[in-house]
Amino acid sequence: MFELLGGALIHILQVKYLLPLFLGTLAGVIGGALPGVTITMTIIVALPFTFGLDPLQGLAAMAGLYVGGSAGGLVTAVLLGIPGTPSTVATTFDGYPMGRKEPGRALWLGIWGSFFGGMLGGVFLIFTTKPLAEFALAFGPWEYFSLFVLALSMVAGLVEASLVKALVSGFIGLIVTVLGNDPMLGGPRLTLGIPFLEGGIPFLPVLIGVFAFAQIMSEVEKSGGAGSMAPPVANAGSLKVSQLKVIWEILSRPFLLIWSAIIGVWIGVLPAIGGSAANIMAYDQAKKFSKHPEKFGTGIPEGIIASEAGNNANVGGSLVTIMAFGIPGDAVTAVMLGAMTIHGIQSGPLFIQQHPDIAYGIFAAYIVAHPIMVLILGLGARFAMRIMTIPKSTLFPIVLVLCVIGAFALDNSMDTVYVLLAFGVIGYLMVKAGFPLAPFILGAILGDQIEINLIRSIMTDPNPMLFITRPISGGLLLASVASVVFSLWQHRRTQRRMAAAAAAPSDEDIADF
Amino acid sequence: MGRDGIAGLVVLVVSVVLFGLTFRIQSNPLVPVSPAFYPRLVLGATAVLSALMVAIDLVKRRRAGPTPAPAKAAAAKPRYDMVVILFAIFAVYVLVLPYLGFRIGTAAFLAVMQYAMARPRSLRAWIVLALVALVATAATHAMFETYLQVLLPRGRWTDF
Repeated sequence: MFELLGGALIHILQVKYLLPLFLGTLAGVIGGALPGVTITMTIIVALPFTFGLDPLQGLAAMAGLYVGGSAGGLVTAVLLGIPGTPSTVATTFDGYPMGRKEPGRALWLGIWGSFFGGMLGGVFLIFTTKPLAEFALAFGPWEYFSLFVLALSMVAGLVEASLVKALVSGFIGLIVTVLGNDPMLGGPRLTLGIPFLEGGIPFLPVLIGVFAFAQIMSEVEKSGGAGSMAPPVANAGSLKVSQLKVIWEILSRPFLLIWSAIIGVWIGVLPAIGGSAANIMAYDQAKKFSKHPEKFGTGIPEGIIASEAGNNANVGGSLVTIMAFGIPGDAVTAVMLGAMTIHGIQSGPLFIQQHPDIAYGIFAAYIVAHPIMVLILGLGARFAMRIMTIPKSTLFPIVLVLCVIGAFALDNSMDTVYVLLAFGVIGYLMVKAGFPLAPFILGAILGDQIEINLIRSIMTDPNPMLFITRPISGGLLLASVASVVFSLWQHRRTQRRMAAAAAAPSDEDIADF
Repeated sequence: MGRDGIAGLVVLVVSVVLFGLTFRIQSNPLVPVSPAFYPRLVLGATAVLSALMVAIDLVKRRRAGPTPAPAKAAAAKPRYDMVVILFAIFAVYVLVLPYLGFRIGTAAFLAVMQYAMARPRSLRAWIVLALVALVATAATHAMFETYLQVLLPRGRWTDF
């Protein structure tokens, strides 16, 4: 393993790979720093640029973008108090109060916190992907079917919307995959009279359309498209600081760092929860374990370190899920999955065996992206602040053009662009109707695989009890039932708490008197 | 009926219509499981879940009783008009792209979108608008066609 990793590191340090990795990380930092532009949107915009590259170049760029994007949001979080991405919300709690007094210290605590958290996530990624993939090799179609059902039920249970709505959203995603093409025999079905549908609906334009339009149109709704992504910054103060002192501030809190990274990795492994939950949960845990929780929110280093280590370790966890099981951990890895497919690579348990050069290349790119991220953020924080003043009326149209190129370049056909438009409208309407997008996307990605494995298992042995009696499959189905029950319980508990909170002010008022 | 109820009803109608269409799918005698089996499973489950969504919404609204008219919020009203306009501009762009070609279509799209989102109020703003449209089009075209070997649409009318 170390030999392969060493070779991949040497490989990735060649200009041919280092350049796309650097540019990907830079794009990620900029996209992450722009409030209102998520990592997903950045990776969607960057996707067409990878089409002309070889697979490892493209995936290295995406790994860099993911790492850069996860850290980039801290620039605005610390210096402006505006989270650049949802995954830096908790960074603002202590980052901004400290940033007003000591902007350099706050920024560098965030940068190095991201670095160490990300590297710990990398350790997990490198050491667990292969064993998990080997474990997954023992899976038959029953286990795969149950695993995909678990992924969908977990996503549906973990999003904030009601469970039924999240499940409907997931099923709408599955409907996308039943239209047009039977994945078992390749024959047409439910084409609705549209010849293009005979080949099925490609999921990348669906993903691009849904996410890009949902986000852009939500921003347009707020301001009509006028204004810039962030207010101009008069003076961010001096960003100079003793690097050794900052690094020591982080490394002298090993429990905080490791625990935050573990939370980040664990949330990353669970499908479609994402960096925002990792960021907030790591912060919350740091506060709970702290000897002085009352100081959280006033600008203490623990708050910045925990939140940034958590969201960057999350990247490592997400990559494990896609590389070992072929299940995207979040929207970013869903795009990476699409990019792999474009380059003819099938992710899943066999991926690391069949393409060790690319698998270890991704590990190496992930590792090398971290020092690049530190370099870019360290040198370019002020520049990133200027980019934020780009008007939305300039940025959004260019983003849409890149989305069109991304969709068109998939098969040099306008049909995929029409799919982009159609799902742009559908995605926006789904957001307005309150449907969470994560289950929809997972359904659209996993639909074909769910069908293939279900039909294969029935064709192998029509006994449906096998889904329950086979230990791994049964365990996975039990876990999905537990996931649904847990989310129902959690939803009820939240409702009870909200009801109690609604009644609480009057009690306090009485106490005040 | 509330937002959830209407959304559930739309999904219910779509899934029932598609479920009906699955009966037109022809089976393959060589394969024991019909290609309609899985779509029916998915569409049936969607129909049940969306019906449940409608029912939950109706029960919630009945329990809550008549809701008072919402007070006018102080927050800015969502600009749905702008959303519709931008979708329309994008739709026109996508539809004319095969006829005008990438370069002309995209330059026009970028100019119109910028104009729609923030109307230029000075000569300088007009120049910036035109420059953004032209430079972004030229840069993306050069980058994709020349360096990344991604062929972009040629115009049937313009051959450009």
